[in-house]
Amino acid sequence: MPELNEIIHQPVRLRIMAALVTLEQGNEVDFTYLRELLEVTDGNLGAHLRKLEEAEFIAVNKMFVDRKPRTFVSATPEGRKVFEQHVAALEAILKRK
Amino acid sequence: MNISPHDAEEALATIQRVSKKTRQSIASSGADTSLIVTGLIWLIGFVCTQFLSGAILIYIWVGISLLGLGVATTLGMRRGKRMRSPTAGATAKRISMVWLLLWVFCVSAIAISWPIDGHQITILVVLFVITGWLAMSLLLYLAPVWPGLILIVLILLGYFLLPEWFYLWMGLLGGGGLIALGWYIRSRW
Repeated sequence: MPELNEIIHQPVRLRIMAALVTLEQGNEVDFTYLRELLEVTDGNLGAHLRKLEEAEFIAVNKMFVDRKPRTFVSATPEGRKVFEQHVAALEAILKRK
Repeated sequence: MNISPHDAEEALATIQRVSKKTRQSIASSGADTSLIVTGLIWLIGFVCTQFLSGAILIYIWVGISLLGLGVATTLGMRRGKRMRSPTAGATAKRISMVWLLLWVFCVSAIAISWPIDGHQITILVVLFVITGWLAMSLLLYLAPVWPGLILIVLILLGYFLLPEWFYLWMGLLGGGGLIALGWYIRSRW
């Protein structure tokens, strides 16, 4: 039986994971792009990304592009698996209704 | 961890909403800019064609086309840096090939039909461009298809019913329509 994941279920983190798992595996998005997409503040997004990174659900890749520091984020295979299980658990709750 | 069916329903709806927005946002990356720039070129070019004549028109068309190409390329490159993808290059190549084939077909159609007048060249080029956009919209979820279909119908009506004002019609409707569509994509996603 699939289980809900407490880390992912938090509303902002749920939206972050939903956005990242929509990307093809191996693709990563810029921090600024993700912030605009989800309409959250820098601080809020940064805090939730740290939490997801600690859980190893996402990978954060810091680099320099055109001599400017940039942060790219992607879902890890583990993150994708846990997110799929979370969605399956949500659907199971609805089926039981 | 236990949650109510209502909370589960809300969470699933949120996931679907974000997923759809992400898909559309990534697919339309740069499409809004490209539409607005093309729309501006058409608006200026066709309005000038309606009211001016002679060699100056060639300079205007070449000038605004080059300026538009430069602006669209610069903005497109800046937007492209938002996502890093190992497959992005291959997708971009396929899209470029589709447009190249469409242009070859367009130029061939004009050459085969030659001699044709300015109105006929204009409508053929415009119809090819809009058809290309509709194909991209259908394949990449860039934008809804219905505004493009309405635009084609209105452009054809202008071609057959308003030959004297055709270029003005094209500038305001074709150019304005593309700007409006680009703005719609930008504001929505």
